[in-house]
Amino acid sequence: MKTALLKKASKVALVLIPTITLSMAATAHDPSMHVKKAEKADCSKMDHSKMDMTDPVAIAMMKKCMKQAEKSNDKMDHSKMSKEMDHSKMKKMTDKNEKKDDHDEH
Amino acid sequence: MKMLKLLLLFVILGLGVVTTVMYSGIVDVAADEPHSDFVYWILEETRENSIKKAAENIEVPDLDVPDLLLTGGSDYEFMCSSCHLAPGQTESDMSLGLYPAPPNLTIAAESHKGHEHGDGAQNDRKNFWVIKHGIKASGMPAWGKTHDDQRIWAMVAFIKRLPTLTPEQYQVLTAVD
Ligand code: HEC
Repeated sequence: MKTALLKKASKVALVLIPTITLSMAATAHDPSMHVKKAEKADCSKMDHSKMDMTDPVAIAMMKKCMKQAEKSNDKMDHSKMSKEMDHSKMKKMTDKNEKKDDHDEH
Repeated sequence: MKMLKLLLLFVILGLGVVTTVMYSGIVDVAADEPHSDFVYWILEETRENSIKKAAENIEVPDLDVPDLLLTGGSDYEFMCSSCHLAPGQTESDMSLGLYPAPPNLTIAAESHKGHEHGDGAQNDRKNFWVIKHGIKASGMPAWGKTHDDQRIWAMVAFIKRLPTLTPEQYQVLTAVD
């Protein structure tokens, strides 16, 4: 009796768990939740000459932009890049569609 | 004895009126149907006095701290701007659809319609309390259930400066890093 109940319970679980999991994924991807995209700070419009550096707002803005600049430098190391990425040695980038017919050598 | 009987009559009458109002369904709870001036006044006075009293002993920390503006800024953008708006924005689905309407926190407090406002520290204290505890039967959630006091003070610091911010300043302060 007990095992029958247990079997039934596990069957129900087998159906319910994937269903719930999948439906949650569906709600998580509801487009309305993506309306707001995380934006990076737009530091280009900052006019330092007009900023009062005793104002907490100005200091906070500087901090944010400096941190953001540091971060993007971490990800992309330009000093190394210039050495290793030699565009002159790269093949000319071609459109994939152009090569459609080159199937001779497989 | 006569007095007591009269009093009892009034109590029963009062209960009768309340029950009738409750069960007849004549009260309109629709959010797109504003309260009468009288009901609005009762609710507003009740709310203002409740907040004032509850917040009176809260100690306000130093809020002129740049880091507070940064944490408060990104929290505000993600959790509050849909209702309380951002510089350059005058309405949203929430600001139009909610009743009571969320005040536009991008304009100086003095210009909120019908809201009573004291000095700076008094405002900070009240804002802290409202953000932490929310306001019953309005759209304002209690953020204290999920955020510690430090995060909430950061939002208080941010909304204190919010009416002075340009859209560009707002963008930089609230952007994720
Ligand atoms: C779903 C909409 C909604 C969201 C999100 C929301 N609020 Fe509110 N808030 C309201 C409403 C509605 C009121 C007015 C309640 C009333 O008048 O009874 C309010 C009131 C307030 C007040 C009191 C303002 C005054 O002058 O009386 C403050 C401060 C406040 N909110 C801050 C915040 C902060 C900070 C956040 C983000 C953490 C936030 N709110 C998120 C709807 C919202």
